[in-house]
Amino acid sequence: MTLELQVSPSESEAAPDRVRAHSQRLQNQRIDAQTQRCLEELAAAGPEAISRHIEALDREWDVERYLQMNAGLVSLSGVVLGAVAGRPFLVLPAAVFGFFFQHAVQGWCPPLPVFRRMGVRTRREINREKYALKALRGDFDHVSPERPSAREERSRADEERTWRADDRSG
Amino acid sequence: MRAVLHAPVPDRVRANTWPPINDRLEAEAQARLREAAASASTDELTRRIMQLDYEWSFDRTLETEASLMGLLGLALGKAFDKRLLVLPGFVSAMLLLHATHGWYPLLPLFRRIGVRTQDEIDRERYGLKTMRGDFAAIPPAGSPAGERAAAVWKAVCE
Repeated sequence: MTLELQVSPSESEAAPDRVRAHSQRLQNQRIDAQTQRCLEELAAAGPEAISRHIEALDREWDVERYLQMNAGLVSLSGVVLGAVAGRPFLVLPAAVFGFFFQHAVQGWCPPLPVFRRMGVRTRREINREKYALKALRGDFDHVSPERPSAREERSRADEERTWRADDRSG
Repeated sequence: MRAVLHAPVPDRVRANTWPPINDRLEAEAQARLREAAASASTDELTRRIMQLDYEWSFDRTLETEASLMGLLGLALGKAFDKRLLVLPGFVSAMLLLHATHGWYPLLPLFRRIGVRTQDEIDRERYGLKTMRGDFAAIPPAGSPAGERAAAVWKAVCE
């Protein structure tokens, strides 16, 4: 356990969720475990509790929003200080924008570990919980899984229903 | 510990987009889902899901653009005139505006060229997963809660 704390990238760098790929494995595991606990509780609690929770998930601040807030505040203060107090302060916004670019392209930046430790999730992680809950609520029950051969005959109405089930909110 | 900040509206970028553009993006996604349902094999569905996994989200696009503009502005301010620092200052302020309200000066442009939010991408993604039958093996309501929770978790992680 203590050793794992030292390991930085837990998943492959090519993983689709770049933030997860650049978070400590322990933090990812904690976030996953919390989601699983939540699913178990809500599976027992019933559809109304699930709907309320989905609404909260839709409005949960994701990690990008925290990082944008953080980068905006720090770089703005840096630019103001640089203009008022002296050029050396411009190093601050330069570092912020540089790391923010790294974050956008590659997925890591210095404040990321702090936010991950706070339990801030990526939108993908939030949506994973959301769609798991929608499945629990039965939103996908009327979408019949089909054998590949039957798929061709599938009527347009069926797919419309898929979309509506997916679109149903709250 | 879990951060508990919540926004007043679900998808702020959608809320700040001209409705016809939202409608267009939605119609395109629905058309792709129809196409997938009509013709696709499981392999094709999997391929489409992987493609969506690597689509650049709105936030990622914005962050790339904002950081480059910020760096450019700082370089110009250092090289030429201190007054040009207005540019990185403006970029920072707009980043804050986006984080708090979801609007951004380039939002209309990004949306028009079809940059989607992660919520929109995931909606299509889970639509495809449903078609692939990922949610077909969930025990019916009334089964033990633990079993159902484990099954849906497995389904979303697939």
